[in-house]
Amino acid sequence: MISFDKINKWYGSYHALCDVSAEVAKGEVVVVCGPSGSGKSTLIRTVNRLEEIQSGKIVFDGQDIHAPRLNLNHFRAGVGFVFQSFNLFPHLSVLDNIMMAPVNVLGTKRSDARAQALALLERVGLGAKANAFPGQLSGGQQQRVAIARALAMKPPAMLFDEPTSALDPEMVGEVLQVMKSLAKDGMTMICVTHEMGFAREVADRVWFMDHGKLVETGSPDSFFTSPQSPRAQKFLSDLRSH
Amino acid sequence: MATMPASLLFQDEYAHQILAGIVQMFQLTICAWLAAMALGVLLAMLRMTHKRPLVALVVAYVEYHRNIPMLVQIFIWFFGIPTLLPQTVQVWINQQHSEFIFAVVAIALCSAAYISEDLRSGIRAIPSSQMEASRALGLTYLQAFRKVVLPQALRLALPPLVSNTVLLFKNTSLAMTIGVAELTYVTREIESQTFRTTDIYVVATVIYLSISLMIMAAGAGLQKRYRIQGR
Amino acid sequence: MNDIISIVSENWMLLLVGQYPHGPMGGLVLTLILSVVGLALAFPVSVLLALARISPFPWIRLPATTIVYMVRGVPLIMFIFWVYFFLPLLTGRTVSGTVTMLITLVIYQAAYLSESIRAGIEGLPRGQVEASRALGMSYLGTMSRIVLPQALYNMLPAMVSQFISTIKETSLGYVISVNELTFSANQINAALLTKPFPVFMILAAIYFVLCFTLSQLARRLEARIAGKRAGRQKAHPVPMPTVAHVVTK
Repeated sequence: MISFDKINKWYGSYHALCDVSAEVAKGEVVVVCGPSGSGKSTLIRTVNRLEEIQSGKIVFDGQDIHAPRLNLNHFRAGVGFVFQSFNLFPHLSVLDNIMMAPVNVLGTKRSDARAQALALLERVGLGAKANAFPGQLSGGQQQRVAIARALAMKPPAMLFDEPTSALDPEMVGEVLQVMKSLAKDGMTMICVTHEMGFAREVADRVWFMDHGKLVETGSPDSFFTSPQSPRAQKFLSDLRSH
Repeated sequence: MATMPASLLFQDEYAHQILAGIVQMFQLTICAWLAAMALGVLLAMLRMTHKRPLVALVVAYVEYHRNIPMLVQIFIWFFGIPTLLPQTVQVWINQQHSEFIFAVVAIALCSAAYISEDLRSGIRAIPSSQMEASRALGLTYLQAFRKVVLPQALRLALPPLVSNTVLLFKNTSLAMTIGVAELTYVTREIESQTFRTTDIYVVATVIYLSISLMIMAAGAGLQKRYRIQGR
Repeated sequence: MNDIISIVSENWMLLLVGQYPHGPMGGLVLTLILSVVGLALAFPVSVLLALARISPFPWIRLPATTIVYMVRGVPLIMFIFWVYFFLPLLTGRTVSGTVTMLITLVIYQAAYLSESIRAGIEGLPRGQVEASRALGMSYLGTMSRIVLPQALYNMLPAMVSQFISTIKETSLGYVISVNELTFSANQINAALLTKPFPVFMILAAIYFVLCFTLSQLARRLEARIAGKRAGRQKAHPVPMPTVAHVVTK
């Protein structure tokens, strides 16, 4: 479904991504973890081209995302992205937030878009908040709306960039719940997250990144119980000592 | 004391003069405001194109109009510009109410500079994450700008825009220096005719004050109406 | 272009100092004197006005608010005529145009400046006042030692902006025959008659150089202050990412 082939990215002279190669199969859930600055967010942001790479090839759903004739907006509509800081549109109601893209990008009829939006809100547990505004919602609620907004475009895969890092502890659970149910329904997902419990429960594979390199990949069980690389071992022990 | 200014208003001759002055003031304000808003939006948009020559043009325009007194700008337009125009145009202009036109032009161009800066700071205040989220959903740059950034930016820009509208309104009084018979001009005329300075000054002050306050109230009303809920 | 050079070379004295020494000081020097003295006198008045505006006592707050709204709602030129007419009545003797202009500027600037200062005071984080009161400092002590110094420092760019506005407003002295820069330029224009455009362009250029330089100063001040503010904020601890959330099975 998604493949990275020798991806390289530089910020000036800083080598942010070094020869990263990996694949995500359809229906697979991948958790990307690693210390701050390891390039995890940068990596998933290259998939919908919020970050551009200098060399390498990325294929998404059979499409080379750097093909010259690619309609970028069209392509992005097919990639679901959830931000760390939710980025809901504060001047629009929850329902309008979710309907905005299907109506304006896919050309969906407003009535159809509304019905879909309401169904998605139910799915994330916020059916009652359709007419509320983002400023009136808690962080956890806002992030769930953000997930619904991304799902409204019916993407074949969803990317999550530290979806719970900006949330108060008691709200992390409700968002992870939604993500777990998405995974169970067979959505292809790449999640950058520090939530190791989520990784153990739901991920099919864990990718460990450090200093821009994809250092280790493995199943959650093998990664958490016996990480192979010394850097992964250090990362996990630092995590546990908190 | 309260009857004295009022008695002025009811004396036909002066009432007509005052009314004519008020009408001129409104005409100046409305023409200048419409032109200034349109030009201000255009300037703000040009500024955002990031194309060096266009940006430089807008910056030069804004700096010129912000660093030179309004009065001097009016003089340049009324006294200076006509001498640059060809003879036939000059003759034609002298036959029109050129002082009104030049006053409107000068005031509108000056306000447009301030308005474009207000719009620009409103737009810049919207975090880039809003644009990012819109683009991630597949919206084009224009769609994202129109539906996500601009509505929020306008709400932020509303207070300084209202402020500049009041300023524009007050600047119309400067048109008296080139002979436009607006309210301040009429005030001075009546003062010199009747020597009832207090009365006429009070009338003019009350009129200016009420309209300024009305503009500010309208702005506050707009702000309330379009307030983003939950903030 | 030759016009401009010849006009400047023949009239630069008039533009710079007006009729001086054959008359009172005028021209650009008078413009600067009016602006500096005007703002200097307006400053203490504006601080008092700002404090009055945020006072919890309505009998202080309401008159102050009324004054500010009245000054902001009336065009400056109208204001000048008011002062020009009423000052002699109040003081019982004739007042020169220059003094009239000065008084007008002081009142006008004080009203606008008080709004900037009020914004600066209200923009200071509440924590500052709370910490000061928690230490036992009085309201006045808090105001004079903690709030105002910070608020005024933050408002420096706004005050430079206000100074620029004052310089531009002195041009209105023309309508009451104050011998400042714009008046001098008009005298030159009246003498030459056929060269209004170069004359007024020179006038515009002088104002432009003066105000533009000051606005660049304001910009640099603003950047410096913002930098200091950001530096102060960096001292706050940044919360660690939710590493504490390791949910072990």
